[in-house]
Amino acid sequence: MYTILICDDDKDIVSALDIYLTSEGYQTLKAYNGKEALRAVEQNQVHLILMDVMMPELDGIRTTAKLREGSNVPIILLTAKSEDTDKILGLNIGADDYITKPFNPLEVIARVKSQLRRYTALGGAEKGPGLLTVGPIAMDDGAKIVTVDGEPISLTPIEYNILRLLLSHPGQVFSSAQIYEQVWNDPAYGSENTVAVHIRHLREKLEIDPSEPRYLKVVWGLGYKMEKGAK
Amino acid sequence: MNRLQSNPWGKGAAAVLLLVCAALSGLFGAFVLRGLLYQGVDSWQDTGRFTTLLQERQASVAALVADSLAVGRLPLGDYTNEEQWAMGVETWESAGGTYLIWPDEALSYVQIRRYEQDIETHAALLDPEQTWFRFQVRTADGTLTLGGNLGPNETMEGAVDTVYYATFQMGEYWVEDSSFSWTGPDAVGGTAAESNPELTAQPVELMIECGVARELNDTIPDGFQQLLAEYERERANFGSHVTGCLIFLALTAACTVYLMWTGGHKRGVEGIFLTWQEKIFFDLYLIAMAAACVVLLAMAIQSGEYLVRLWSRDVSVTSLDQLSAGIYTALFCGAATGMAAAVTLTLRTLAVRLKARALARSTLLCRVLTALVRILGEFFRNLPFTWKAAAAFLLYFFVNLILFTNQYYWGSGPLWLLLNGAVLLFLCWWSVGMGRLRKGSRAIAAGDLNHRVDTRLMPYDLRLQAEDLNNISAGLSSAVDEKMRSERFKAELITNVSHDLKTPLTSIINYVDLLKTTRQTDPKAEEYIQVLDRKSQRLKKLTEDLVEASKASTGTLTVQREKIGMGQLIDQALGEWTEKLEDRKLTVLTNLPEGETWVYADGRHLWRVIDNLLSNCAKYAMEGTRIYLDLTRGKGQVKLSVKNISREPLNVPPERLMERFVRGEESRTTEGSGLGLSIARSLTELQGGEFQLAVDGDLFKAVVTLPQAN
Repeated sequence: MYTILICDDDKDIVSALDIYLTSEGYQTLKAYNGKEALRAVEQNQVHLILMDVMMPELDGIRTTAKLREGSNVPIILLTAKSEDTDKILGLNIGADDYITKPFNPLEVIARVKSQLRRYTALGGAEKGPGLLTVGPIAMDDGAKIVTVDGEPISLTPIEYNILRLLLSHPGQVFSSAQIYEQVWNDPAYGSENTVAVHIRHLREKLEIDPSEPRYLKVVWGLGYKMEKGAK
Repeated sequence: MNRLQSNPWGKGAAAVLLLVCAALSGLFGAFVLRGLLYQGVDSWQDTGRFTTLLQERQASVAALVADSLAVGRLPLGDYTNEEQWAMGVETWESAGGTYLIWPDEALSYVQIRRYEQDIETHAALLDPEQTWFRFQVRTADGTLTLGGNLGPNETMEGAVDTVYYATFQMGEYWVEDSSFSWTGPDAVGGTAAESNPELTAQPVELMIECGVARELNDTIPDGFQQLLAEYERERANFGSHVTGCLIFLALTAACTVYLMWTGGHKRGVEGIFLTWQEKIFFDLYLIAMAAACVVLLAMAIQSGEYLVRLWSRDVSVTSLDQLSAGIYTALFCGAATGMAAAVTLTLRTLAVRLKARALARSTLLCRVLTALVRILGEFFRNLPFTWKAAAAFLLYFFVNLILFTNQYYWGSGPLWLLLNGAVLLFLCWWSVGMGRLRKGSRAIAAGDLNHRVDTRLMPYDLRLQAEDLNNISAGLSSAVDEKMRSERFKAELITNVSHDLKTPLTSIINYVDLLKTTRQTDPKAEEYIQVLDRKSQRLKKLTEDLVEASKASTGTLTVQREKIGMGQLIDQALGEWTEKLEDRKLTVLTNLPEGETWVYADGRHLWRVIDNLLSNCAKYAMEGTRIYLDLTRGKGQVKLSVKNISREPLNVPPERLMERFVRGEESRTTEGSGLGLSIARSLTELQGGEFQLAVDGDLFKAVVTLPQAN
């Protein structure tokens, strides 16, 4: 039984989230500004915080900074600001993830689950040889098993090979042609189109929001890469 | 400091002090003038006055001798009258011959008394007890001494320091001084000349040896005593007189400076206060003051000259002389005071005018000249430009011609060179201005609206042109600024509004979603919820696109251009879209050149362009048709064209299609915000590319042109 603190100045959003999370079997706490959130965290054991950025009295960014002084509880920011700089600021200040408004309830639940799994299974991932991890994605090359937040996912052999290539070189950008040559072991003759399709499928399986991937990123015009050191 | 400058009491005191000091310096100047008479001589006996006195005494001696002889006495000598008569001396001899002297029988008693009174007066004047004057009368050859006023045992050399000599002819005195005694009838005995032809033929010449006694007795109130006293006094006081004169002059100058310093300041008045004096034109003022000074100077010279004459005369000045000396000294002082006042007034008004920077303005000559120059300048400037050029050229031509043709007669060669040099300089000046103007207009035409043509030192006509140009560019610049500001304001407004829209939209989407999970009793409700769900999703898309469109069109997006592969990008885009397009039974035919095509662009923005174009195809292309994606490169350009057949007839011109909220069909029921093409165009242009649309029947064609990267 996990306790989730929902903090937003819009009461309707808080109660909607409350309904979703309760139906998923979580216990919830409600707060309507940053100060209330801080108080709630002090008085209760909280496993995860969903928090709006723009709030009266104490905004989400400052509250996050305060919370991070003495706690590593996962924080997911809800933001109406869609600018990249806001997201980067939120993540740098100590938030673990962000969801832009208007959000899809399914996405919220998926992210909450992902964060909770990582938080509670902290240190559980044994780092053996042949174990490739980036963020929540872990690949056991020996057992040919890929897990996301500990949940095993099924991949086709080609998808598996592509993922292994990217996971073993995090941060490096591979063009479609390079991926094709490495995975298919054939010279690329304009048949890279298939690579893009495979990668899209892979993204749909790995990412909560495939159109805005957190880990398997598209570098437009250059290729694909696995985010290095992503949370 | 200001209080000191504007204190009226201070000014009044300075003015009074100035007048007093000027008068005193005049007085001391007069003293100095007097003292000058006694300067530059070794002894008091060298002075002019001494000579005058000596001559007076000599004349007196001559008169005494003549008068004595007139009444038939032997002059001088130690004889009493009785002795002379007793001696019966009627002749006396000299080397020149024997002369007869006889008493004039014809003299009346009154005449004799007159002569005798005269003799007494002169004798008294020459009495050694009454004067410092010592003399001896000798015959011209010096052989016979007639007499003098020396003591019995004194010699001339012993009695005086310096011996002066003078001669006189007896006859003259004789005739002259006795003239009135011969006004009586001739019958008595005729004139001496008539009765004594020898005398007439040979007038007696006598010589006076004279000088001032060595032993000076101050108790004798003599002209010489007065002269010596004055000489010594003046010599002693000369230095202090000069000092006094200089001190008072300095004080006068100090007062003048003070009045110049305080001039124009008035208590309670800010800045420089102009009095009625400053209302007079300065040159007229100067002329009036100079005239006054000339008059006063003449007065000073006149009175000074009179005073010098008076003082260099005999010492025996009467009280009337003293009075006139006083009056003339006063006149001299007055002239000095007047001049000081005039100079001070002139300098003060000059200072005030300079302080008020009104000297040129308040000078008649200056004003007349400025007005003249301005009128001529205005006249020339307002001539039409062609006339001006023609007039200037004709003037130049004729002057040039005259100077050139006459260079052998007048030697005007250097002038001719000078003229042409000046014209060359003028032309250079013009061309520099023209060049600046040209550069300025080019810069403004190129879009640098902040460019201002430097109008300093420009020829008049060009300056007018440059100012117009500057005004145009300023106007354009402010219009562009205004436009930019309003665009930015619009973008900000849209961003803020859409942020505010997002929060309620979140609730709507969430609660619609929650509604979907609840069980509905009315089957229609399910359908309504479907509509709500669809529309709220569309609203979400719309707000997102709206923000993006406004950001893209106002250029507030950051663009990070780098070298990216067009082929790779198309490949990636198709990877994203293939399945959705296949769902719509659309086939994509790509035509890419050999090898990778590199462009300089921002990958994410360019992806949005292609994404929007493909999304457009997915939404509006007729099912079962083909989509052509062609990439060509050449001439440093990379062109990507996307062609598809529209499902609906495209009755909208391509320009309209790129406007915001315009879509291929007017019903607005389908998904899509109508912002896709507008965003695509804005983003392409942000990256330095071109975005074109073409509609040919149902064929829709979009071309993205970007600069190629090597």
